Amino acid sequence: MAWEVPVGLESEATRLRRGDPAAFEALLERYHNRLYRYLLRIVREPATAEDLFQQTWLRVAEKIRSYNPQRSFEAWLFSVARNLAIDYLRRCKLESLDEPTESGETRTERLAGGGPTALERVIVMERSSRVGEALGELPAIYREVLSLRFEEEMKLEEIAEVLGTPLSTVKTRLRRGLEQMRARLEERGAAGEWQV
Amino acid sequence: MSEHEKIRELLMLAAAGVLEESEQAEVNRHLAECKECSRELDGWTELAAGLRRLPTPRPRAGVVERARALMVRQLAAEAERRWDSKLVVCAVLFAWTLTLAGWPIARLLMSGAAAWLDVSVRYAWLVYAAYTAVGWVTAGAALVILGVRYRTMRRMTWADFERS
Repeated sequence: MAWEVPVGLESEATRLRRGDPAAFEALLERYHNRLYRYLLRIVREPATAEDLFQQTWLRVAEKIRSYNPQRSFEAWLFSVARNLAIDYLRRCKLESLDEPTESGETRTERLAGGGPTALERVIVMERSSRVGEALGELPAIYREVLSLRFEEEMKLEEIAEVLGTPLSTVKTRLRRGLEQMRARLEERGAAGEWQV
Repeated sequence: MSEHEKIRELLMLAAAGVLEESEQAEVNRHLAECKECSRELDGWTELAAGLRRLPTPRPRAGVVERARALMVRQLAAEAERRWDSKLVVCAVLFAWTLTLAGWPIARLLMSGAAAWLDVSVRYAWLVYAAYTAVGWVTAGAALVILGVRYRTMRRMTWADFERS
């Protein structure tokens, strides 16, 4: 199944498959923030996310010939990153993506971000912080689906490809993730407080 | 399950923008008549907007550069490995060609050379066997050298990564 991706992007991916370093440069430039953000959402530790980020690009260089240019490069790239993140989580036995566990630890302070410079920025940061905090408390299987849908703006089919799960499972995780997010935000106070 | 309940189940997915056209049309029809569901959808939409507005964390300076350097190096190593693989295939094909075609050629040359030199070559098969053995031993040594070099390059890339 081919996804709707810019022609230029596919062309770069095809060049990358041939091992063209210039094509890699372009893809790295395009995806580095998004890939890091996705990894950080899964592992929640910036240093680990950075390690996994580098490992992902190494793995991409190693496995690029197994990428099928007819498919979405984005989904392939994120699935490579996800596999590495899962390996890491399993190795460290922190948590399993298949067996969600609850964590009460606040992670917001671990998320990178500059200090507020104006009152409006403070307000926006406060609200984002609460949403980010609630997201960080969700089990990994819900965090990653929410991140892929709302931050990466992937279609359900692409998310299913990244996760290697059926579409129905993605929908269920999306629904449960949103329900849990809402419950956590409501626990933090009146619903209107986090609404912008 | 009543239509109202069924639509409520769909509202969060509507806010996530993942409903199919028919489902979305069904939701829209219901929303036109149900204020409660409209308010519910507003809540989900706000939550979805909050998720979309989350600040994008960025990797520390230097991490991207290191990833770039490692990747370029790995790409070069992979390209070299592919080249080496092609070389090995060519070498093996060449060796087999020499082995299979060598015998009749050797016989032909030796009989011609023997007649010209007016000497008898009794042990032509021995010369041929020695020549084939040297060819295959050389090819084997080349393969071992390539293999060792590939492993070394691979280790160096990972060592670079671990140091970074």
